[in-house]
Amino acid sequence: MVVGIRIHGRGGQGAVTASRLLATAAYYDGKFSQAIPMYGTERRGAPVTAYVRVDDVRVRERELVHTPEIVMVLDPLLSTRQTMADDMAEGGLLLLNAAYPPEEVKTGGNIRVATVNATNIALETLRRPITNTAILGAFAKAVGWPKLESIEKAIRKQFSGRIADMNVEAIKRSYDECSEVIPAPVKIAGESEAIAVGGYGVLKDVSSWRVFQPVIDMDKCTGCKNCWIYCPETAIKWTDENKPEIEWRKCKGCGICVNECPVGAIEFKRVEIKNE
Amino acid sequence: MDELTITPGSACQGCGAALAARLAFKALGPNTIRHGVPCCPDSATMTPRGGGGVFEGGGAALTGTWRALKAKGITDVQVVGFFGDGGTYDIGLQGISAAAERNENIWVITKDNEAYMNTGNQRSSSTPLYAMTSTTPVGSVIKGKQTGKKNIPMIFAAHHVPFVATASVGYPEDLIAKIEYGKTLTGFKMLIIQSPCPVGWRYDPAKTIEVARSAVQTGIWPLYEITDGEKFKLTYKPRELKPVTEYYKPQARFRHVTDEQLAGIQEDTTKNWEKLLKSDELGQLLI
Ligand SMILES: Cc1ncc(C[n+]2csc(CCOP(=O)(O)OP(=O)(O)O)c2C)c(N)n1
Ligand code: SF4
Ligand code: SF4
Ligand code: SF4
Ligand SMILES: [Mg+2]
Repeated sequence: MVVGIRIHGRGGQGAVTASRLLATAAYYDGKFSQAIPMYGTERRGAPVTAYVRVDDVRVRERELVHTPEIVMVLDPLLSTRQTMADDMAEGGLLLLNAAYPPEEVKTGGNIRVATVNATNIALETLRRPITNTAILGAFAKAVGWPKLESIEKAIRKQFSGRIADMNVEAIKRSYDECSEVIPAPVKIAGESEAIAVGGYGVLKDVSSWRVFQPVIDMDKCTGCKNCWIYCPETAIKWTDENKPEIEWRKCKGCGICVNECPVGAIEFKRVEIKNE
Repeated sequence: MDELTITPGSACQGCGAALAARLAFKALGPNTIRHGVPCCPDSATMTPRGGGGVFEGGGAALTGTWRALKAKGITDVQVVGFFGDGGTYDIGLQGISAAAERNENIWVITKDNEAYMNTGNQRSSSTPLYAMTSTTPVGSVIKGKQTGKKNIPMIFAAHHVPFVATASVGYPEDLIAKIEYGKTLTGFKMLIIQSPCPVGWRYDPAKTIEVARSAVQTGIWPLYEITDGEKFKLTYKPRELKPVTEYYKPQARFRHVTDEQLAGIQEDTTKNWEKLLKSDELGQLLI
């Protein structure tokens, strides 16, 4: 029977690559498969969606997956959104990149849930928060396919050398660190707001783009204005006390200010995501 | 100087072009009309906008805007085209060249990210030698772009226009000073701003300024200005250039470049720098 998969991530986390790797691995398993990237004007940091279809017979459908049996979320902040479970098939599986156990997932509904801390795995194996391969191993564990060897083969087709090795390590760790699959706990909180998809032009708030955020030590700051002049988003305001102040809704967490501070007064701290 | 960009925009984290827009429009001031052609969503500005033009029409749209203002007796407005390298170096070149030849009172400011980034990193004539793009991939036989970067500032200097200059997002004061000087001139003005793109050039977004600065310090992207097609001045003159490897190594788009190829780039860069130094001493552009 056909299995439809929806993948949520942000530009830069590799959702489109994840869809391709998954479809390729399923093919190596002997299945028929299809990867459907959804292209828009998404830049790094903006929400991105991709789809995969897997079947034992040739896949004839060409449209997007409307009622996915499996939803996989690459981004820890998106993972806290209840809307991630929207339109899922009854009894479907929701796999989240989250630092908390599946018992704390708040979507409710007649679905099953599992979590894996893919951001941690990615930071430790790839040294950057590209979570696509760091969640695929957990997918194999929670779903029962594709075979780890098939994912490894797909990775080695896509990447080579050291990059391939690091990604293979990421899937293995993610396989081992995936949580149990449990029925979704009864819904606790109210419906959360759908996340705005950034396209062309001007956005209201990009706080959700940050994986790391700049934290200024005012005692070390000499007031040189480097961070202020180099911030592409004018997220750093200059105060009357002659000090920088970050306007959080504008900060994308690019790290330029951190890199350009001559006295090392800005630290780049991992954003803690609360599951509210 | 007020900020004229409307932020946050939808450019990627650490986008050099978004910073180029911020700095350029800060210096141009509110009395500016901005024209655009298709490109990455760098940063919107509060300045009035000419309609979203087509690539080929950049020079014509700027010309029309300036002529209309002049006919109405308004002459203190900066008419600015803020284009990508695809818009300036390639698709819009004929119209911009024609406007330069007529010496229209306009600016063409280019955020040069050395490829067609909005559509996914296809090579342009601004893409440097050996750079990997989606249309100049690294294969087993051919690795990266096989031709060098078009020298667009010198092509426009040969039009004998009032002002042609290079700038970098790594040197904001220099960039702003050039725009302030250009604002005092009547006629065609061109500013090419090298604007690193972490996505296409493949480096950590935090390093945008570092990469921009190293292009200047290695002589890969020298900062200069040329007035009336002949008076030449280097605006950043290090006592000694840094080795080009410092610029090439951190960018994964150059990962496949061999030491031998790097030696060739070093030789060309040094030769070019010596020529520019000589022009700077004379105050006269040597071609
Ligand atoms: C004549 C024409 N060809 C192609 C396109 C598609 N297109 C839109 S934006 C773009 C890339 C522009 O590249 P560049 O000018 O360097 O700006 P960047 O995206 O790099 O900022 C292209 C090819 C178009 N709009 N018109
Ligand atoms: S991290 Fe980037 S966007 Fe945020 S304040 Fe620093 S330079 Fe600006
Ligand atoms: S760059 Fe560092 S020292 Fe300079 S103003 Fe910013 S925080 Fe202060
Ligand atoms: S692709 Fe490059 S130039 Fe375009 S918005 Fe992203 S960082 Fe900027
Ligand atoms: Mg470009």
